[in-house]
Amino acid sequence: MKLEVALFAGLKCGNPELPCHGEREFSLEVPDGTTVRELRALLAIAPAIPLLTIVNNHHEQEEWVLKENDRVGIFPPIGGG
Amino acid sequence: MDKIARIDMGAAGGPKVTVGPVGEYAGLGGRALTSLLIAKEVHPLCHALGAENKLVIAPGMLSGTTGSMTGRLSVGCKSPLTGTIKESNAGGQAAQVLARLGYAAVVLEGKPEGDDLYKIFINKDGIQVIVDNSLKLLDNYPVIEKLRGEYGDKVAYMSIGTAGERKLLAASIACTDPELRPTRHCGRGGVGAVMGAKRVKAIILDDAGMKMRPPVDPDKYRDANRKFVEGLRKHPVTGEGLPAYGTNVLTNVLNEAGGYPAYNFKGGQFPGSEKLSGEAQAQLEIDRGGTATHGCHRGCVIQCSGIYNDKDGHYLTKQPEYETVWSHGGHCGIDDLDTVAMLDFMDDNIGVDTIEMGVAIGVAMDAGIIEFGDREGAIRLMKEVQQGTPLGRVLGSGAAVTGKVFGVERVPVVKDQALPAYDPRAIQGIGVTYATTTQGADHTAGYAIATNILKVGGDVDPLKTEGQIELSRNLQIATAAIDSTGMCLFIAFAIMDQPETFQALLDMLGSFHGITMTGDDVVALGKKVLSAERDFNTRAGFTRHHDRLPRFFYNEPIAPHNQTFMMKDEELDEVFNW
Repeated sequence: MKLEVALFAGLKCGNPELPCHGEREFSLEVPDGTTVRELRALLAIAPAIPLLTIVNNHHEQEEWVLKENDRVGIFPPIGGG
Repeated sequence: MDKIARIDMGAAGGPKVTVGPVGEYAGLGGRALTSLLIAKEVHPLCHALGAENKLVIAPGMLSGTTGSMTGRLSVGCKSPLTGTIKESNAGGQAAQVLARLGYAAVVLEGKPEGDDLYKIFINKDGIQVIVDNSLKLLDNYPVIEKLRGEYGDKVAYMSIGTAGERKLLAASIACTDPELRPTRHCGRGGVGAVMGAKRVKAIILDDAGMKMRPPVDPDKYRDANRKFVEGLRKHPVTGEGLPAYGTNVLTNVLNEAGGYPAYNFKGGQFPGSEKLSGEAQAQLEIDRGGTATHGCHRGCVIQCSGIYNDKDGHYLTKQPEYETVWSHGGHCGIDDLDTVAMLDFMDDNIGVDTIEMGVAIGVAMDAGIIEFGDREGAIRLMKEVQQGTPLGRVLGSGAAVTGKVFGVERVPVVKDQALPAYDPRAIQGIGVTYATTTQGADHTAGYAIATNILKVGGDVDPLKTEGQIELSRNLQIATAAIDSTGMCLFIAFAIMDQPETFQALLDMLGSFHGITMTGDDVVALGKKVLSAERDFNTRAGFTRHHDRLPRFFYNEPIAPHNQTFMMKDEELDEVFNW
C-alpha cells in the first residue's frame, strides 16, 4: 500500500536502500498492515528519539496499523508557544 | 530588591519620586507582585487610561542573579483592552538590570496635565524624571537610537512607540535585547497605552556600580543552577528543538494536527504552512547570514530566538515567533516569510502586540477592507496604524474594536483580547484556558498545547473533553507561579517531564531566599496570584458568563475534524474551584 510521509524538524529518511533516502516528504510503498513502529524502523529514524506521529490529523501510538493513502507526519520532540 | 519606587506622574509641580521599603509585598516578584499590588491598590472600576490606574514594572523573584533563564520582566495594570487585571511579561535585559538596582518594582501612578513627554532614568544614585519632547511621535527603533546617543550601550531601555503615545489598545512596551534592539515586548492587553497615558516615553536602566543579587546560600544556589541548566540542555525541546528552529517549529505540527486557524478561523489547516514553517524560516535566516539561535537576554541557555535578515543580508527583525508568523501569516492567508518579517518589524517599531495586530488585520480582511492573502495591503494597513489615521487607530485598537466597527460576526476574542494561534475546536484544552484565564484569551496562561498536541507532561486527547478542565487548572496555577519567578515559561517543557529539573528550580528558589521550597509552595503561590486576579476581575464586573468563547466556536465546526468547542459551561465554571 502507498503512504504519504512527511518528516519534520530535522528528521529525514535514513535508509540508504530506499529511494526516499535523505528526503523529508515523499510517497512510499509499504506492506499492508505496517504499523507506525515498523514504518519508523523502515525509515531508519534513530530509535532513541521519542517521536510524535500524526496520521490523518490524529495523534497515533507506535502500534497503530496504517492504511492505504494515509498521510503520516512524524516529529521529534518539539515545543514553543 | 528591598524597595519599591513610586513615581506620581500627576503630582503638583511635576512628577514626584518616592522610594520606600517593599513592605507587605516582600518576597514577591514578577506577576505575583504586579497582580497583588494592582488588586489591592487600583480601583477595579477605574478607567484604565486614567489617573487611578497604576503601571507596575517588576522583575522576577530570581532576576538579577546568576541564575539562568531569570530575565522575564512583568508589567501589570488594569488593561484598557480587556478591562480585567493584566500581567504582560517579556524578556530582554530590563528585568536583570532593574533587579540589580534593588527595585522590587517601579510603579507609575497618576497622570500629568499637559502635553509634555517624559523619560525616566534610573541608576545607582536614584531616579530622575526628565521632560524630553524631542522623543514625541518617534517609533521604538528611532527612540532607542536617539537615547543610545545620550546614555550609551551599557544600559537597558524600555520604551513605547507611537501606538503607546496614541493610547491604542494593542500598544506594547518594548524592552531591548542584549544588542539593544527593541524586540522584546510586554505585548498583550494594551500596557503600552497605559504607559502612554502617563506620558512616559522611555525608561533607561543603568546598573553601573551594582552587583549580582547574592543568594543566602551561594554554594547551594550555584549547584542548583548547574543541575537546572543540565536539565534544560538534556530535554529535547529546550536543548534541541527550540534552539534549532525557534517557536515557529510549531507551524507544521499544528497544521498536521488540524489545529492551525486559517483565514480568520475558517479552517484548521493552511495550504501555505510549509512556506511559513520554522524549518523554512531557520534555513532562510542562516542562508542570509542571520542566525536561527539567539537569546533574548544574557543568561538564557535555550536561545529560542534568531536574527532575520532581508534579501540583501541586512538586519530586518528578530526571528518572528510562531504566534506572529501565524497572525500575520496563515490567519491572513499570507504565505510569505518576508512579508511576515516586515510586519513583525513594524509591530516592534510602532509598538503593538503582534497577536492582536495580526488578528485585527485578519478580521479586517473578513470585512473586505482588503483581500485575504494581500501582502502589500497588510503592510499598507500597518502604515495606517503607524500614521495614526482613523483606520489605523481602529486596527490598532485590536480585533474586538475592528470587528465592531466593520460589523464582523466572526471575531476571535475572549474579554476583547484576540485568540492566539491554536483553534479551540481542534484543541479543547487550550479553549478552556482561553475562556477562563484572568487575562483574556492568552495561550501562555495555561499552555494546554503542551499536553494536548506536543505530549509533554502527559497525554490528553485534544479532540475530547475529558481531562481538559484539570489540565488547564493545573497549568494556570503553575504558570502564575513561574511568571512570578522571572523564569522564562519555556522551562516548563523540562520541569514537566523531568522531576530532577523541577527539584533544581525549587532548590534555586529556596537557596536564594534561605528557605525550603516544595512543590506545594509553588502551587500555593500560583493559587494566591490567581485568586487576587479573579477577585479584581469580579469587582471590575466580570462574571462566569465572561468565561466563555465566542458563539461561533460552538456553532461552526471546523475542518479537518469537523468539530466544535464542546466544553460545557458548568465544566468551565469548575476551573478555579480548587
